[in-house]
Amino acid sequence: MPAAAQTGQRRVAVDVLRRLPEFLTIWVPLLLCAGHLIAFALWTIWVSFTPSTLVPVAGFVGLRNYTAMMATRNWQIAFDNLLLFGSGFVLLSVLTGLGLAILLDQRIRGETVLRSIFLYPLAVSFVVTGTVWSWLLNPGIGIQKLVNGLGWTSFRFDWLIDRDMAIWTIVIAAVWQSSGFAMALFLAGLRSVDADLIKAAQIDGAGPIRMYRRVILPTLWPITVTVVVIQLQFAITTFDLVRALTGGGPGIATQLPALVVYDFMFQRGLLARGAAAAVLMLLILLAVLLPYAAWRYLQRRQSAHA
Amino acid sequence: MPEKTFTPSRVLIYLVVSLIAAAYLVPLLVVVLNSLRTAEEIAQTSMIGWPRQWAWGNYAVAWGDFCIAQTCAGIRPYMLNSALVAIPATIISTLLGSVAGYAVSLWRFPGDRWIYGVVTLGIFLPQQMRLLPWTIVLRDLSLTNTLTGLVMIHTIQGLSFTTLFCRNYYIAIPPELMRAARIDGAGFYRIFWRIVLPLSPPILIVTVIWQFTHIWNEFLYGVTFTTGQQQPITAALIALSASVADIPQHGVQSAAVMMAALPTLLVYLFGGRYFVRGLTAGAVK
Amino acid sequence: MNKISRRAMLAGSAGLLAAPRHARAQAAKPRLTVISQWSAGSDGAAITALGKKFEEKGGTWQHSPVPGFTTEMMNKLRAQIMAGDPPACSQLKGPEIAAWSKIAATVNLDALVAGAGYEKVVAPDLARLHKPGGKWISLPLQIYSTNMLFLSKRAMDKAKADKIPVTWADFNALAEKMKAGGVTYPIANGGTRPDDGQKFEAALAGISPAAYRTAIMNLDDKALKGPELKAAFAQVRSIADWMDPNTAAQHYSINLPRFVAGDMGMMIQGGWAQGVLLNAGFKLDDFIIAPGPSDNGKPVFLLNADAFIFWQRKEPDLQAGQTLMAQLVMDPAIQTMYSQITGSIPVRTDVDLSGAGWSDGQRRTAAALKEAVAADQAVLSLAHNMAQENGMTAAMIDVLTEYVKNKAITPEQAVARLSNAVEGAR
Repeated sequence: MPAAAQTGQRRVAVDVLRRLPEFLTIWVPLLLCAGHLIAFALWTIWVSFTPSTLVPVAGFVGLRNYTAMMATRNWQIAFDNLLLFGSGFVLLSVLTGLGLAILLDQRIRGETVLRSIFLYPLAVSFVVTGTVWSWLLNPGIGIQKLVNGLGWTSFRFDWLIDRDMAIWTIVIAAVWQSSGFAMALFLAGLRSVDADLIKAAQIDGAGPIRMYRRVILPTLWPITVTVVVIQLQFAITTFDLVRALTGGGPGIATQLPALVVYDFMFQRGLLARGAAAAVLMLLILLAVLLPYAAWRYLQRRQSAHA
Repeated sequence: MPEKTFTPSRVLIYLVVSLIAAAYLVPLLVVVLNSLRTAEEIAQTSMIGWPRQWAWGNYAVAWGDFCIAQTCAGIRPYMLNSALVAIPATIISTLLGSVAGYAVSLWRFPGDRWIYGVVTLGIFLPQQMRLLPWTIVLRDLSLTNTLTGLVMIHTIQGLSFTTLFCRNYYIAIPPELMRAARIDGAGFYRIFWRIVLPLSPPILIVTVIWQFTHIWNEFLYGVTFTTGQQQPITAALIALSASVADIPQHGVQSAAVMMAALPTLLVYLFGGRYFVRGLTAGAVK
Repeated sequence: MNKISRRAMLAGSAGLLAAPRHARAQAAKPRLTVISQWSAGSDGAAITALGKKFEEKGGTWQHSPVPGFTTEMMNKLRAQIMAGDPPACSQLKGPEIAAWSKIAATVNLDALVAGAGYEKVVAPDLARLHKPGGKWISLPLQIYSTNMLFLSKRAMDKAKADKIPVTWADFNALAEKMKAGGVTYPIANGGTRPDDGQKFEAALAGISPAAYRTAIMNLDDKALKGPELKAAFAQVRSIADWMDPNTAAQHYSINLPRFVAGDMGMMIQGGWAQGVLLNAGFKLDDFIIAPGPSDNGKPVFLLNADAFIFWQRKEPDLQAGQTLMAQLVMDPAIQTMYSQITGSIPVRTDVDLSGAGWSDGQRRTAAALKEAVAADQAVLSLAHNMAQENGMTAAMIDVLTEYVKNKAITPEQAVARLSNAVEGAR
């Protein structure tokens, strides 16, 4: 009996040893990635409760950093802007992406070229995008000047310097940059619509518009949700683009949370306040992600039971 | 196959698409034109305009002669640095991501859902929250101011995206394939090598394109974690433009911007088709 | 090892530790690691020239300029300090010197400063910034005035004016004359935060330097709510009305062509603008430089000074490098060379600016500094982070920049907002 147990133990040991490389291959990268994320998030949360200014120091100041941060006009304006920018940008980029995908799906000539034209903005760095758009949208040297020069002298397009409209200039530049991604996803979705469904609708005598509304768009729903989530992530964390385009101005009218975090943490040497802003930003993200995750979970349960 | 009829609705479609395409190209056109104008002309007239003289020399100067921070070797050394960071980081993070994606979606192991969830949450963590912690990590590993340090950072961070893409793609592989292979006695590595990898090219291309673009265009870490000759091209470009007591050399700077953007533009130009194909195959679900 | 040699060894090590740093350092070849943001333009040229002088004296110069603005340089400095590897010397200025000196050890320069007699030739307000805790730890290198008045010759002709404005009333009258004479925008401005801050500090310091000192430098609450602040905001509103609203977030240099051509009349900028104008191809006789308006007849000087701070290092060659660098920075010949390249004026009040390398603008600025110090009207610039630490400055400039860009905010509201911002940022 003991001999058999020993052999059993040895077999297990040999088995574990044999599978060790596989175990490490699976767990090491994933743990490094997950570990660093959790560690960094926890570290930032810790800093937000300390009195840190230039460098992280230990200490506990309760919620003071959070209340101070939320009391600043910077944060309040940034939060409002995030709602405006987030919803405007996501909506426009979904519509633009969808529109472009539908147009490209019409079997037109030069589709390859056109697809490259709509995708290339993804390849350009945000700093460059922001800078070029800051020239184009400037009324003194950009589009307004061009149209005025062409003869339409009462044309005005000075959103960039208008405190209330400047946030929409960021929407324009951001949509230009990332609607290509939405387009690519929608195009993929359009191309994978079930051919039988289309044929059935055609047999029923549906015209192109009815076809889109009844058959194609509904099947695009899951992809739309994905696009919305990724674009929201972009909207919440966008930093380089805004910095290059408006610098947070005119005045502080186009402040956004990501800028506020960087500004307070590094430019103003107020690490703890900036960390508090970062945690607030994370909370906003969670407010978007948790419903999405719950929705996905419910979906999976539904399809598992179906 | 393109249709050959020219009904009014098709003409309208072509018109709309062309207009939108033109609008998309305008920013690129502005930079290209600026790269061919002299700095004096830009300073004396406006940031947007047609070149009066064609300053082709801007490109040569930007490449090899321009003085960035007292080193007059143009952007060539910085482009090299960017390549030395972007290429290894892309390759490693893609490989690791595909193994991880396979492990999470096909091989399965206890806790896989949880770790996958945490890893993909990484997409949403803002960069400002990572700047100081990475400083501490790099210091503890003695990797401050090295390209290796940057590669490590981008690889570990990139795992979030690469795992996400690969996992969503591999999920579509029929489970019968896996079952048959396991019955045949194939282990972790053999299944990956024989079954998963050969099916992967579409998603690997998407991942490579995505990662390369992100890493090449990344600015914040490059500036903070490296100095001088170690810096990537994005940091060098900022050097060209940030000076209070000077008028920037916009012409040469635009030429530098064009050259810096060229690798990623080419990647999208040649890889665009595969990019869409890979997304079609389900990169994101 | 027997007892005797061990004791001898201990005694020997103790002796080594007790030896003056100076003596050990003299044996090593000086080397210096420097971080700054001066990577291009005249700033870059000046620090490179300084580096060459360093090497001429036998040292090894290792300068790592950080591209970008000051924040990037500070991030780099912070990262290196946290990594335990601070540069031997770095650019830093204003109250940040005191703040940063608390997070890492600095070098006590008292002996070197006394040896060069530097303290006697530095403006007292300025010296104070570099001696937090009573000991010199950093050395100022060059001074700019942030409230210089630049007048376009052609715009003056259009306005048929030939008198340089001395008080704010003169200034306002001249602006109106320019407008009447066809100058589209009497003020050529930039849209950046320092620009907005510069207008305010020029207005307040010109109206009352004493109020500026108590309110902005000392953050006295009563002064912050006082009548001078209201008057300053009103003056800024007038200035804002004369500016081109299209200059959104841009650098003032985009307006230079129109300034020289007479389409814009005046600039309130720092002395560095002279260098920028010349670099852009414009000529010295396209414009006139004058001190900023001052209502009480004596010049007001808004100080912006760059400096180097020295971080403690154990390596003897770096310590030798620090000694050499400190001596160079205090040397009048070096300050002359540096300021002639950048367009600033030397920190030393005993440098003779009558030579050929100096412009009239620089001479006028230096004279203004002397007079202002004598009249106790040399104050520290808020917009350029000399009066307050970065956090407080940014909070105040938030209010100023919003005020400039939003005509609906009244001076009363601005005063309230400013004192609230100061309270919130304390």
